[in-house]
Amino acid sequence: MFNFDWLSDISQETAKIIFLCLYAVIGLLVLLLPNEYIYQGMVKENRHWWNNLKLWAIAVLSILAAIYSHF
Amino acid sequence: MLSGIDYFIVITYIIGMLLLGLYFKKFVNSSEDYFLGGKNLPFWAIGMSIVVSDIGALDFVGVSGQAYRYGISVGNFDWVGSVPAMLLAAFIFIPYFWRGGMYTIPEYLGRRYNKSVRTIASVTWILFFALDLGVLFWASAVLLNVLMGWPIWVSIISMAGVVGLYTYFGGITAVIMTDVVQFIIMFIGGFALVVLCLYEVGGWDSMVDKINNIGPQYQSHFEIIQPQNTKSPFPWTGILFGLTFVMANAYMIGNQAIVQRCLTAKNEWHAKASMIFGSALKMFIPILVLFPGLMAVVVHPGIADGDQALPLMIKSILPPGLIGLMFAAFFAGLMSSVDSLLNSTSTLFTKDIYEPFIKKGATDKHYLKVGQVTTLVLLLIGVATSPISSDFPGIYVAIQTFMSYFQGPIFAILLLGIFWKRTTQWGGLSALVIGIGFAIYLNVFKERFFTIEDPFLYISWWSFLLSAIINVAVSLLTKKHTAEELQGLVFNSKILVENKKL
Repeated sequence: MFNFDWLSDISQETAKIIFLCLYAVIGLLVLLLPNEYIYQGMVKENRHWWNNLKLWAIAVLSILAAIYSHF
Repeated sequence: MLSGIDYFIVITYIIGMLLLGLYFKKFVNSSEDYFLGGKNLPFWAIGMSIVVSDIGALDFVGVSGQAYRYGISVGNFDWVGSVPAMLLAAFIFIPYFWRGGMYTIPEYLGRRYNKSVRTIASVTWILFFALDLGVLFWASAVLLNVLMGWPIWVSIISMAGVVGLYTYFGGITAVIMTDVVQFIIMFIGGFALVVLCLYEVGGWDSMVDKINNIGPQYQSHFEIIQPQNTKSPFPWTGILFGLTFVMANAYMIGNQAIVQRCLTAKNEWHAKASMIFGSALKMFIPILVLFPGLMAVVVHPGIADGDQALPLMIKSILPPGLIGLMFAAFFAGLMSSVDSLLNSTSTLFTKDIYEPFIKKGATDKHYLKVGQVTTLVLLLIGVATSPISSDFPGIYVAIQTFMSYFQGPIFAILLLGIFWKRTTQWGGLSALVIGIGFAIYLNVFKERFFTIEDPFLYISWWSFLLSAIINVAVSLLTKKHTAEELQGLVFNSKILVENKKL
């Protein structure tokens, strides 16, 4: 049990899909966060799409997913 | 190995770091300036500092060596082993720490649970950082002795002098701003090596073909996901459960040296942005530390000790001048690790031990002085204890193993503490103590429980799971905290349902 033998039937391809799903779930959770929370601390006049941290996070997750899809 | 131009670059770099660090002395007028940079630093500097502090001179050599032996799966530590955890830290934990005006992670644990949890967590980190300092000094000095022929004590004393001076006077602002320059040097040096190595092996595709054709033992060198029954220490199950779910989060959320940087941000947006920016930069680290090891498989096949891969690549590929830059990058890695340990340990001691237990209610200037003196004392302890590493060669691994005992339980109490308001002080305390005990037990009898050679990823997962269960069970049996006690310490899910655009 401690060695996760019960997961030995899962292939590497399936494992890769599990990782990709994990990134998708994280991305979805990030999108659920309200903009007010994301921009907290920044004055209203300075709030632009390029300092929307949700977009930053999605961009990082997309690159990560691309790396895992490729290798 | 080094030419005149290389020595010039390395020495100029070291003197430049000292002067730059000392420049920030003028911004230190209070303990908040010293420990939190006056809460005035921008996200980009903090993000770079987080990344460079995480990569030491030893990592360059060690990760290249592991890439030589196991291939690209080593990259998991900087990719899936960092990015999701940094996003969780950025969006959930850091805002609470920042808003609470906290100095240390144990301070949060103290407010959320009780003083005992705070003290156990703080003392553990202090012990780990203090021991790590001496080991880091010695191991890096040995590396420089092998690579550059520098006498070991010259390396230790010069490094301690430079880093100690700017950390003592400039506090965390000096630490972070010198880290920015160290980050740039490290990236320029690292990328120069990667580009020249790629040219040497005939490009990426050529390298992949050559490695795949060497022999069956290299067939999985380009598979980032390793099977559950792999002989390497990185089966996908360990990467997912141990690394992604526990160790990465414990490191990015529970590590004082990382989180303290985010608490220096000028506002909450900068605090969050620093982690996300750091996660973007983190994705480039495997290119710097992993790719040279992979390329060494082609250029120097059949090396018995994988850790020789990087030194051999530097020796055989880099021209004079760039070798100096690469060594400056080594120094950058070393300096950024040492200054982080010094400043974080000084903060933990002053805020979690000295202020509550030794002298309450003293003036701010007094605590500033205590922080500075602690930095100096730690430095002396680090230098004095560094030769211990030569008597006990396995001490570096032992210290890292010691830390892995702590990772699962600490993340369990942080996670439940912020997400579940029913968690009580007794739940947290028992989870921490029993969880650490269980991790030690699993490690002592690892041959009995585990089939892979170094099961630290599995140990961190199972100790996390047990700690979480203990925390829930004991919390349900003990008196819950009042709403006032939990104010500002537990994640409020209302922010999700208040989003009108969904």
